Amino acid sequence: MNRRQRSRIRPVTILVLIALLLVPGVPLTSAQTDVGTVAIVTPASRSNQGWDQQGVDNLVAVGEELDVSVEVAENAGYDDITPILLDLVSDGSQLIVCHASGYQSVCPEFAAAEQVPVVVIENPGAVAAGLVSDIETQAQDAAYLAGVMAGMETRTGTVAVVVTGEPPTWNYMTVGFAEGLKAARPDARLVYASVGEGTYDDAAAAKQTTDTVLAANADIVFGMGDGAAFGMIQSIREYNQARPVEQQARFIDVIGDKSASEAGDFLLTSVLFDYSAAYRQFIGDLEAGTFGSVYTMNLANEGVRLLPTVIPVRPETAPAVETARTAIVGGTVKVSVIGDAAGVQARLAELFPAV
Amino acid sequence: MEIDLVATTILTAAILAAVPLMLAATGEAIGERAGVLNLGIEGTMLLAGFGAFRVTLSTGSLALGLLAGLAVGLIVGVSFGLVVAVARADQVLVGIGLTLAGTGLSTFLFREAFGSEQPLLAVGGGRPFDALADRVPVVGPVLLGQPWFVYLAVVLVLLADVVLRRTTFGLRVRAVGAAPFAVDAAGLDVAAIRVATTTIAGALSGLAGASLVLVQLGFFRPGITVGVGFIAVAIAILGGLTPWRIAIAALLFGVLAGLSPGLQVARVPVSVEFLQLLPYLGVVLALLLARHRLPLPAALGRPYRRGAVRNDV
Repeated sequence: MNRRQRSRIRPVTILVLIALLLVPGVPLTSAQTDVGTVAIVTPASRSNQGWDQQGVDNLVAVGEELDVSVEVAENAGYDDITPILLDLVSDGSQLIVCHASGYQSVCPEFAAAEQVPVVVIENPGAVAAGLVSDIETQAQDAAYLAGVMAGMETRTGTVAVVVTGEPPTWNYMTVGFAEGLKAARPDARLVYASVGEGTYDDAAAAKQTTDTVLAANADIVFGMGDGAAFGMIQSIREYNQARPVEQQARFIDVIGDKSASEAGDFLLTSVLFDYSAAYRQFIGDLEAGTFGSVYTMNLANEGVRLLPTVIPVRPETAPAVETARTAIVGGTVKVSVIGDAAGVQARLAELFPAV
Repeated sequence: MEIDLVATTILTAAILAAVPLMLAATGEAIGERAGVLNLGIEGTMLLAGFGAFRVTLSTGSLALGLLAGLAVGLIVGVSFGLVVAVARADQVLVGIGLTLAGTGLSTFLFREAFGSEQPLLAVGGGRPFDALADRVPVVGPVLLGQPWFVYLAVVLVLLADVVLRRTTFGLRVRAVGAAPFAVDAAGLDVAAIRVATTTIAGALSGLAGASLVLVQLGFFRPGITVGVGFIAVAIAILGGLTPWRIAIAALLFGVLAGLSPGLQVARVPVSVEFLQLLPYLGVVLALLLARHRLPLPAALGRPYRRGAVRNDV
């Protein structure tokens, strides 16, 4: 390239640079990033129709919307996931969603060590500018509404909560549900049964546990179980087969929407989780250089909400649920936020003392 | 009334849960009697469970699904036997590899077939003695209200017991596990007998996977066995590699596992973690207490080579 050509290029280059600076989405400072690839790590299968699937599906949808590639690392378990995180970074991921409360420690440590931004669940204390953002699932509020619905709908007066673990997210929901049930039906009996710690995919044990709570006269089961939820569903399905409609049990699900499945016949509602807005915000934050904040999924922003009921319910139920929703959003009803298992047991004993 | 119902439910579910365990453990016992340790039961059960589910979903036939599970198990069992008995590969490594491969392949096939859908089947099939079940409180529904496959499984386990203890084939199997060089010296083919036992064991593991999916649950999901295949190995040893004892051990395991929800419903103040641990703790304790009464075959886990020194079998 001779001197004359170089002198022609210089003004063009300057013009191009000015134009690029004016185009939205182009980094304006060194802290800003053009996000091309994001990743998500899930402890279990991305097709478990629960926590893991919902996270992956929401991120994939947001990726398509924003033209961002999404890498999925599923079945990562709960051991040290650092090698997986390193792999994702070496494959070009610029942001990693650590989609489990079990990754609360490892991911912030990884972010600090490798200077790669991560998103964690239920760990606001770990938030760090440019490195760690947090999602808070205020699902206790929506679970409260589910409890109100159960209180309005139970015929036997006995309602069950079946969990396949006691992580913070589910503990919040258990307490929220119990408080909603108590508010709607003060004389109700709540049966709480844990399938076991970390039994998210143990469908057989979940079925056995649900069989037992149904035998204990529960006619509504609030089940938190990822893949194991199908054991609960199958238990209720079998139970209902030999009974007339007015004696059948019903199911309240969490996280996803199973109304199109065989559970649709007895699915009262579901506490839906929608991470899309959180993911959208975090990708935007990273591009804008403002990454490192807490996103709270709640009733007001519909990050958590109840699935509309499609099976017949009492006419009083929907207005009661709506009244409770208005009260929570308006701040006149405060649902307890209890994330530890011992706290859950104490609160349940307080609300529903043993007879 | 409610307590009766809860007790009945726990015991009924315990028997149902014990069926896959006793079938898989019986298969394992037959293999171990011949000196073959199979840690691939989990993978076999998953592959057979998927096959059984796919066939029943397509045909609507529970019996065809169970046969498909049996066939898958049989093929896996023959393959395992050829690799460890004829090619003399390390039994532990091949078993673990089989579990990993079975888990991965069944997950892949399920995803390919159903994506994120989760079809459900009607469980169980007919209950031949249901009419008699309600005549006796608690015990009646538990013993007489079970699906037909439960009774068939009990018959199979008892049959295996008779074959192992009372037939020439059983004698040869036990001899191969205890002193393969002696069997070889008697002119019998050690590898062939071992392949025969892994084939039977595979078929029983296949039936175990199929019964878990079709009789107990009514659906398949990736990783649905959650360790039943490994528990079966422990139950086989706990039962002294004797099928009728294995059946009892599997039943006790099922009852202990079923106690957890029952005690929680009754609000007995015991931690869930302890209750969850209870069946496994029971197995470990029983193995410890009975360790001297549970002699394992001398050649267990060792490939047989003609001409090797006797200590090396």
